[in-house]
Amino acid sequence: METLEKVIEIVATTCEVDNSEVTGDSTVGDFPAWDSMGHLSILSAVEEAFDISFEPEEMMEIEDVNDIVKAVEAKQ
Amino acid sequence: MKSIEEQLFAIVQQTPDKVALISGETEVAYSLLWDYCLRAAFKLQNTYHLQKGDRVILSAAGNIEFVYVYFGVHLAGGICVPIDPDTNQTRFNHIEASTKPVCVMGTLHNVARETISFSDVIDGTEKAEFIAPKMSEIADILFTTGTTGAPKGVALSYLNLAAAARNINEFIGNSADDVELLALPVSHSFGLGRMRCALTKGATVVMLGTFANVKKFFNEMKRCHVTMFAMVPASWGFIKKMSGKYIGKFADQLKFIEIGSSFMPKEEKEFLMEQLPHTRICMHYGSTEASRSAFMEFQAYKDNLLSAGKASPHTGIKIFSPEGKPLPLGEEGEVCVKGEHVTCSYWNETPERFASDFYDGYFRTGDCATMDADGNIYLKSRIKEMINVGGKKVAPMEVEDILNTIPGVKESACIGIPDPGVVLGEVVKAFVVADESLTDEEIMQQLKPQLEVYKLPVEIERISEIPKTSSGKIQRLILKK
Repeated sequence: METLEKVIEIVATTCEVDNSEVTGDSTVGDFPAWDSMGHLSILSAVEEAFDISFEPEEMMEIEDVNDIVKAVEAKQ
Repeated sequence: MKSIEEQLFAIVQQTPDKVALISGETEVAYSLLWDYCLRAAFKLQNTYHLQKGDRVILSAAGNIEFVYVYFGVHLAGGICVPIDPDTNQTRFNHIEASTKPVCVMGTLHNVARETISFSDVIDGTEKAEFIAPKMSEIADILFTTGTTGAPKGVALSYLNLAAAARNINEFIGNSADDVELLALPVSHSFGLGRMRCALTKGATVVMLGTFANVKKFFNEMKRCHVTMFAMVPASWGFIKKMSGKYIGKFADQLKFIEIGSSFMPKEEKEFLMEQLPHTRICMHYGSTEASRSAFMEFQAYKDNLLSAGKASPHTGIKIFSPEGKPLPLGEEGEVCVKGEHVTCSYWNETPERFASDFYDGYFRTGDCATMDADGNIYLKSRIKEMINVGGKKVAPMEVEDILNTIPGVKESACIGIPDPGVVLGEVVKAFVVADESLTDEEIMQQLKPQLEVYKLPVEIERISEIPKTSSGKIQRLILKK
């Protein structure tokens, strides 16, 4: 739960939307700022926040907030 | 030569049931695409009172409805002004004031203005009669980032658009059998041009709209048996970062890739060639004003990968001195381009002003290059000091003008620096002369609401004075060193 909250916070901050607008199903393209540049910013902020590093094949699987949470938890 | 619309009409007659567009689960045959375009044209003429030559601003989202309305405006005799759905209010106000559109269509995320939804334009049952456009008439106006910061409207005639599509298709060699994935923004010359190139060949276009979801990009490649796509070097940087060598799995499927818009390092070209040894990877050099003026193909240029290639089919390129004289081979000067694809005018500019953009009938690109004996050009620098952020152009003055309005900032200058994250090519760096009490965070806070994200400086450096020429012009090249 804590991971989800943290990821939602990162996505909301990057996309400049309210935390309440972001859910586990929020996906690339849902907010104007969640484009490829936004996606990169989100993933690097997640890497920094959880002190992890994603491999390209792991990043490719990430489409939405739930995927990010799954990827983070798999690393912990 | 026939207009894009006449070519499309011919394809509709020849292969009405062939799939023209795919978006998710939706497949649209050529006959239905044409029907929707004519319905849009009818509604534009009768409900929105579009007269010949009237402008329509279109929010160019990469969806099927945009394609219907884009051609619908042309079939109704109007002029399309496609803009990025994320266009900010200041830029929109300028474009609106300049083009005085009869209507604005599609969703705009950052503009406070009522727009007409695409679905309202295509929901009628009556169809306009198809009348072929005159080749000399203006079809589109694309706004680029002008050197002064004010957007500049590049007018493209039906002849310009048809000539560009002919030149590009002739070089790449794609056919009606191809399935092209379109993920580039269709608000720009490159993406919009790809859409026209594919449809005038009678190919199938898979509308993806963005590269942001790399998994979806590859899934669509697989599902729709995609044989070609186009990208800017920044898109490739993103795809590679997200998927490594995964693209190599499509080595036997991908016949063509078109790349363009900005510099691509030699190593990246070699990497792509290794992953896709059978793919014809074509890289263009061009601009909105002179779409794809030169081309090179990676395998053919494997020993000369840093060249921007030779003049495209039906195109002339010469290098001119600042005095407007053609230069001998090997000497550095301005790249100038001649051909039917070169813009017919700038919107709202006098013919006299426009004439000054030409040397002896060759359009001045503002880029500096040399040419070798085989006609290959080698780009050296941009005379215009545009910053290229992930394929999107940023005029330094646009950012500087806003920086200079911030209380405490005395003056500023912006340049492009290599993106520390490598992906975007360049990013904006600002040099400011400002009060010490004003923090970088405060500067950024003021900039954010006024600029698109990619235009925001990623670095701010305080200096005591902005270097200028004796006539007061900012010497940005000195700051680059």
